[in-house]
Amino acid sequence: MFGATGGIEKVCRIVAKALFEMTLVDRVKLNVMSMHDRQDQGDENRYFPTESFKAFNKKKVSFIAAAVRAGAKSDLVILSHINLLLVGWLIKKISPRTKIVLFAHGIEVWRELSPRRKMMISCCDHIFSVSSYTAGIVSKIPGVGSGRSEVLNNCLDPLLPQKNKGIQNHKLREHYGFSDSDRVMFTLTRLSSRERYKGYDKVLEAMVNLMPQYPNLKYLVAGSYDAKEKAFLDDLVIKLGLTGYVKFAGFIPDESLIDHFAMADLYVMPSMKEGFGIVFIEAMFYGLPVIAGNRDGSVDALLNGKLGVLVDPLNVDEISAAISKVFNHTETYKPNRELLLAQFGYDTYKIKLGNLLKPTTVLQAV
Amino acid sequence: MCRIAGIAGLNRNGDERELQVKEMCNKLKHGGPDDGGIYRDDNNNLVLGNRRLSLIDLSPAGHMPMAYENRYHITYNGEIYNFEDLKTELKALGFSFSNHTDTEVILAAFSQWKTLAFAKLKGMFAFALWDSVEKELYLVRDASGIKPLYYSLNNSGMVFGSEIRAFNRQTQQPGWEPWEVYLMAYGHIPEPITTLSGVKPLPKGCFLKYNIASGKSSLQSFAHYSYSEWQQDADQIKRNVATRLEEAVKRHLVADAPLGVFLSGGLDSGILALLAEKFKHQQLVTLSIYFKEGYYSEKKYQDIIQLKLQCEHRQFLLEEQEFNQSLPEILEAMDMPSCDGINTWFISRHAKNNGMKAVLSGIGGDELFGGYPSFMRIPYARAIQDYAGSLTGMGKSANHKVLKRMQYLKMEGIHGIYLFLRGLFNPLDIARYLDMTEKQVWEILNQFPVYPNIRRLDKGNQASWMEFNMYMQNQLLRDADVMSMIHGVEIRLPFLYEDVIRYAISIHPKYKYGGRWPKQLLIDSFSGILPREIYDRPKMGFSFPFQEWLKSSSLVKNLMEGAGTMLGNSYKDFLNGRMHWSQFMTLVLLRHKKAIV
Repeated sequence: MFGATGGIEKVCRIVAKALFEMTLVDRVKLNVMSMHDRQDQGDENRYFPTESFKAFNKKKVSFIAAAVRAGAKSDLVILSHINLLLVGWLIKKISPRTKIVLFAHGIEVWRELSPRRKMMISCCDHIFSVSSYTAGIVSKIPGVGSGRSEVLNNCLDPLLPQKNKGIQNHKLREHYGFSDSDRVMFTLTRLSSRERYKGYDKVLEAMVNLMPQYPNLKYLVAGSYDAKEKAFLDDLVIKLGLTGYVKFAGFIPDESLIDHFAMADLYVMPSMKEGFGIVFIEAMFYGLPVIAGNRDGSVDALLNGKLGVLVDPLNVDEISAAISKVFNHTETYKPNRELLLAQFGYDTYKIKLGNLLKPTTVLQAV
Repeated sequence: MCRIAGIAGLNRNGDERELQVKEMCNKLKHGGPDDGGIYRDDNNNLVLGNRRLSLIDLSPAGHMPMAYENRYHITYNGEIYNFEDLKTELKALGFSFSNHTDTEVILAAFSQWKTLAFAKLKGMFAFALWDSVEKELYLVRDASGIKPLYYSLNNSGMVFGSEIRAFNRQTQQPGWEPWEVYLMAYGHIPEPITTLSGVKPLPKGCFLKYNIASGKSSLQSFAHYSYSEWQQDADQIKRNVATRLEEAVKRHLVADAPLGVFLSGGLDSGILALLAEKFKHQQLVTLSIYFKEGYYSEKKYQDIIQLKLQCEHRQFLLEEQEFNQSLPEILEAMDMPSCDGINTWFISRHAKNNGMKAVLSGIGGDELFGGYPSFMRIPYARAIQDYAGSLTGMGKSANHKVLKRMQYLKMEGIHGIYLFLRGLFNPLDIARYLDMTEKQVWEILNQFPVYPNIRRLDKGNQASWMEFNMYMQNQLLRDADVMSMIHGVEIRLPFLYEDVIRYAISIHPKYKYGGRWPKQLLIDSFSGILPREIYDRPKMGFSFPFQEWLKSSSLVKNLMEGAGTMLGNSYKDFLNGRMHWSQFMTLVLLRHKKAIV
């Protein structure tokens, strides 16, 4: 929950905050358990107090034993990942009345489940998928059916800082060698040679089409990368003749994300395997127009295209056309903030989560 | 520091709404004698009210409710001790300010950071902030719950106010009143219970967002305190405790009005006075109460601290006659009944009579640094709760006070421990006094409050958590606020400055609670300035001669005359020394509220 910065960890922190706040108004008790975190990693978190947070520092057996013991005494257990299915299954064996809810995020449930998981998944009373796309796949798992499958879209982190009033974009642009008149496209993702499905390579190809029309087009790709992928991209940039137009920023800490969003003109990530794509709603929160792929959970994040432009992630021409369209009509493609908050605001999320969990009295999140 | 009230919605016309808020403000006038104001927005069915006690920027520029950017409006009660830092930060971001108040800084901070601004405010506060563009009203309360804020919310709208007395009894939902049970068990009414069933306290460290257009509300937490064990370097810990508390005291002395320090004779207030003198020099005034009854008097220790200080000391001799004369007024001042807080009423009045508008107090020192017997007792209580459940049954028929309370260990979690260690009456006695069944009493006590499972914490930190979140929150802070504001005096609490709390709760228990004396770490951190006599002494329990004085009270006598047999017998028990004053006081309060016969 605290040891990593990925989307799933973010969802866990937000869910724990929402559950904690439910304990302030209802007669509900909450225990939060984490297999991978160290206890001290939760200490100063801003999401929920850690009196009832127990971390097991990767001690799998102790975690399972403790989670099953506590879970069997609870009315409801939320499993934050399918890897915890064994915990849910054991709890259900000991305490059939305990309701089990599984969170399904993305590729971890898209691929064919092992026979053991297929058997155990029947322990889940509900599976909350982060997008309709994931829910569609989940409901086809034998034994799940549409009756147990629900959609609970991810939401904006309520602790996301607001855009500064008079922020100086100039400095960061200068840092990357961009000028104020450049049109800057931005992608934030891990760059992995094993998971090349985020579409940044396709954006590079699209740039070639766009350069004659937009000679001041620049592309910033941020996120940690492995050496192999970096070498591949460096070669690709040279091969496409884009040297000097593309920057790889590497890992950027959360606190400087806001400046990066503020500096860019467009967020583009025509991904193929996005469970939902929290980064899209974050980019929109900071007012950026967004382009995403139309073959995965991104469709939900962009509200079927109401909040941004959806493209075929394999079609370079379509990507080029979308970028051009956004640049020619920037104001038109700026996301509708009201709609964004109504759909993906934390308040909305909490209400939806509360409605889906009712009527339960004791919560256990693992 | 002020009192606040307001109404959103409720299907009335603007004049009626304003009239009601004015009435609410009038009931709270004691807490804001210097100025009063109303903000009214008829298009949005909103009225915000304020009674002001001015301490920073005494000019009319500090008038409330205050507006900013023609968009945000606030009615605010409290002090932000880091407002100058925030102001500098906001100025750098391009914000401008028209006065010197912390109020305007809250508004600018909200304009910049929205709800994330609340976590940046270090201090004690409760306010209502209206965003006229988003049509959202925010009720916000500080992370330690120092300042109170109550609200009543239903489909037609919301009413809020600083004290329960501001609310019309019409908000009361029909039915039976469980607060009496809580009062008898706890000696006070713990959050979220109040004497009005439709009115709730806003949980500390939370904001309630109320959208006037949709009627939807959402409660969110913006700050909380969690215990950890990060700090493990003994020397560094002592240095840091000293510097953090010193910084807190310095910040708490910022005021444009006269300010003093309550001196009890104990360690915590002694440290505060010694630190405060560094910054205020001769301008500082210390205030204390003493008694003729030598056993109870702390005068000897107050004098020892005073000898080390160059400043003025105003001592006040409280005598039986004055106590009994004031008792009717004190009972009226309570807002919600509580068996404690009488001492704060007297010392606050003494402060007011000496021209003080704000006073520092040592609340928080015992909770954070292990000053209560519970820090020693909690391991035993846990052991009985866990392994000797059968022993708890003995309590029912027992005569001894502690054995009687042992029954409470049947309750799970920190609830049971608290009532065992600090409870007043056991469920069977409560049932008898209130004419209900014991089962009903148990049901009520088990229902609320709901506390987290804190077993993961070290035993010392469990005691600290309990004292901080239960005793201090529900008894000390509420009593201190109500009993000081009734005299128009503000109590400031340097031990509860965010930086002090965050540091204290990150100290490893081994370094925090060990040692020869309670609060050894505080003693060691200030060994250079603290006279030995202040800590090397027998520990005092409660330092007022109540047991004797209440016996001669005519008010008590009148109340008890004509009471039923049970109460009559209790009065006899009290007169004969067989009932503790705090238990008896609770019966007096119930009788006063006509809750028992």
